[in-house]
Amino acid sequence: MSAPVLPLNSRGKLASSLPAEQLAEIKELFDFRRVGYSLDAPFYTDPTIFNIDMQAIFGQHWIFAGSIAELPEPGDYITVDYGPYSLIVLRNDDGGVNVLHNVCRHRGARVLTEPAGSTGNLVCGYHSWTYSPEGNLIHASAPGETKFDKGCFGLKRAHSRVVAGLIFVCIANEPPADFDETAKIFEPYLAPHDLSKTKIAYQQNIVEEGNWKLVMENNRECYHCDGHPELACSLFPTWGLTEGLIPAHLEEVWDRNKQAQSSLEERCRRYGLPYEVVEELDTRVAGIRISRESLDGEGESFSPDGRRLSKKLLGDLRDFRLGRCSMHLQPNSWFHFQGDHVITFAVFPVNEHQTLVRTTWLVADDAEEGVDYDLEKLTYTWKQTNLQDKAFVELCQTGAGSPAYEPGPYMKSEYQVEAFINWYVQRVQEHLA
Amino acid sequence: MIELLTETAIQEPQRIRGLEMPWNRVMGSTEGAAGAARALGPWHPQEFMAECVETVPEAGGMMTFVFRRCDGAPLAFRAGQYVNVAFPLNGEDQDPVDRSYSLSSSPTQPWTFNITVKSDPAGLVSPWVHENVKPGTVLEMLGPVGAFHLPDADRRARYLLLAAGAGITPIMSMLRTIHSLPGQADVVVLYHGAEVGGFAFHQELAYVASVDSRIKVFYSLGDRSVPEGWEGLTGRLTAAMLDEVAPDANGRQVYACGPEGYLNTATELLRKVGVDDTSIYMEFFSGDRQTILEYQAELAFAVDIAEEIAEEIADSAEDYYESQPTAFGLYEPGYDAEGTLKATGLPLETADEDAPASEAPEGNPTVATEAGSPDASSFDTVGTGSLTLSFMRTGINVRIDPDEHILGVAQRAGVRIGANCKEGMCGSCKVVKLSGEVEMNHQGGIRAREISAGKFLPCCSTARTDLVIDA
Repeated sequence: MSAPVLPLNSRGKLASSLPAEQLAEIKELFDFRRVGYSLDAPFYTDPTIFNIDMQAIFGQHWIFAGSIAELPEPGDYITVDYGPYSLIVLRNDDGGVNVLHNVCRHRGARVLTEPAGSTGNLVCGYHSWTYSPEGNLIHASAPGETKFDKGCFGLKRAHSRVVAGLIFVCIANEPPADFDETAKIFEPYLAPHDLSKTKIAYQQNIVEEGNWKLVMENNRECYHCDGHPELACSLFPTWGLTEGLIPAHLEEVWDRNKQAQSSLEERCRRYGLPYEVVEELDTRVAGIRISRESLDGEGESFSPDGRRLSKKLLGDLRDFRLGRCSMHLQPNSWFHFQGDHVITFAVFPVNEHQTLVRTTWLVADDAEEGVDYDLEKLTYTWKQTNLQDKAFVELCQTGAGSPAYEPGPYMKSEYQVEAFINWYVQRVQEHLA
Repeated sequence: MIELLTETAIQEPQRIRGLEMPWNRVMGSTEGAAGAARALGPWHPQEFMAECVETVPEAGGMMTFVFRRCDGAPLAFRAGQYVNVAFPLNGEDQDPVDRSYSLSSSPTQPWTFNITVKSDPAGLVSPWVHENVKPGTVLEMLGPVGAFHLPDADRRARYLLLAAGAGITPIMSMLRTIHSLPGQADVVVLYHGAEVGGFAFHQELAYVASVDSRIKVFYSLGDRSVPEGWEGLTGRLTAAMLDEVAPDANGRQVYACGPEGYLNTATELLRKVGVDDTSIYMEFFSGDRQTILEYQAELAFAVDIAEEIAEEIADSAEDYYESQPTAFGLYEPGYDAEGTLKATGLPLETADEDAPASEAPEGNPTVATEAGSPDASSFDTVGTGSLTLSFMRTGINVRIDPDEHILGVAQRAGVRIGANCKEGMCGSCKVVKLSGEVEMNHQGGIRAREISAGKFLPCCSTARTDLVIDA
């Protein structure tokens, strides 16, 4: 067997020179994972597998970084970290987005240290190497240097796509090609909400003490939704179930759900809004699930009675009763688009046992806090839900660390969890092949 | 014949987003606005004399009276507002009787304006008006007044306009206004009348609806007997009727005008179909006691304001304009105080917007003695040169020449300003300029909005005037 080479062109990377034996062992873990069951413990606890995740998933695929509402004006930027990677996502003067590695080409310092801000040129705080927003090195004081060529030391760039106001980045030299097809699927669902005319009402960052895959797994099922009393006011707890799987205590809710769904679909047809379920979570590289689904109560938003939480309609939408247009994207994001506000969720792995979950509430950019929306009410349901989810994820992480842990079966209503894991395993196997 | 003319399909017009009243941008920008536009700004009520120039009988026992102001000025108002008119019922030497009537014309045609009066045989004033007001009649008026009107800018502009009987008059003004303006809008009118021949303006409504694809008009005959051939709706307002004419009522702003009973029903039904309370605007026409009291209070205030304005104009026209935003705040609807103007991208500025910039920095005992100019006269002054550069934090004045880079001056004077590239690229020397003008040749180290916020890069700037900087 030849020495394993992980496809990263950077020299001297420790993970790229794993001993052959260790790599074979890891490959085996992927090859022999039991379909329909949760993963073996090392997937959640082993730093080597975390490094492989960073290379094979976050280093290769299109990942969600944020929305253009987070960079309203030229010069605005956010920095996002995926494990060892740090990227600068910056709105340029042409209204486009530049994505640059946040690693100074002098001695590797972080160039921008704030999570968000606004800048003209980019100045490294260490020796003041100064880069243009395009990443070109435009100033480096060089006393006595004669052969210093600034042209050789620009910030490394990454790929980016802005679709319906969502910013996606890809670190790979050659990004997977099917993202554009996925974008064509979801763009018509999301575009009517017009993110370019929204603003951040609130952004929450929480670090969950759990592996990023546990965070994603938890999001991909509602089997645990009894643990979300606030969310259950508006999100039908029958989510993920189908006719025949409805327990007796949910039959009444199921009927209400069906009725709400059919009147939502009638409304969508009237306004020309797509609502059908498209589900290709593990049947394509840029895995997706999208649909527009009804909400309980008045069917407008994530509030106790289902009423709107912001009084300004988004985009050119005509009606507040549009339920939630929800999207799951592999590997690190999910979204809820309502008539009155949008919530984006981004997952940023920190290490094998910690994950940053960023939740952002967007409202129409002319909505005024205290007049058109009450910030506490707007964010209440998902703030509570996030805390509950954090606790669930942490229970699992603790469990995965126990010698007594062994993989357990996913239930039928957890088919999306299985799809996520299947997608993940396939992508890593392709990468290690 | 008509079919032959319309054989070829014509595409929809291309439109800018939303609706914006013609005065909106001018009113939203700061000083220096065009005088004519200021005159059109419907900010405040005035007392004026107006001459009737035309009377137009309308269906439903109504009459439209067209007026022009005797002073030749346009009448500035918002679509939906009313004027208070003094009618000399008992002759010129007796006290006139005041009545409020909605304006039915559009403020986009401000040189004349209309009120439309329904004659109530049992009433004291309206039969007199029909009988006596003719072209040439001059009446004393006060206005415009009223919070029931279209917003100045609305990027969504989806309306459901509900009218019963004479309640059509302010709705007519709104409809004429929207029809006269470019921009995306989506308007549904539901007009209840008592009898087939009783729908005022029906010909114009039919015309507008036929040429303006943004506007749809529905009629309902209420619970009266329905003659053969009637193609409109029948019955009183119901949730089903609302749903039929505007299934998306939920996402619209609703303006309703008519008798009290009708409006009370409408309030309930609109809630039922999911319209938010804050999206409902109502004008009680044949008002109950409460409404009448509110009108009286509003008018009393308008009288005060009008008098104040008259006095202030006499004192100084400029002071008068500057005092407007606060003095007439009452007449600015809540929803355009910030929101809609912001939506157009215009800054809402007040006269003292620049005040913070002239505040002296904290911890410096030698602060401003005059508004707007920090006093650096007590600082030591060093150097020679034609201009004075004052460092407020450090507390020193340096005499400089117009070709000296300010960063170098600062460094020589021992003022601590961080700097690196010294070529206007890195931005690390950025400081706030408290007063004066600089010439700056930067290379991307500072953004336009930072410059407009008063910052500059001393490494690539020279002084044009005396300077005061926060360093």
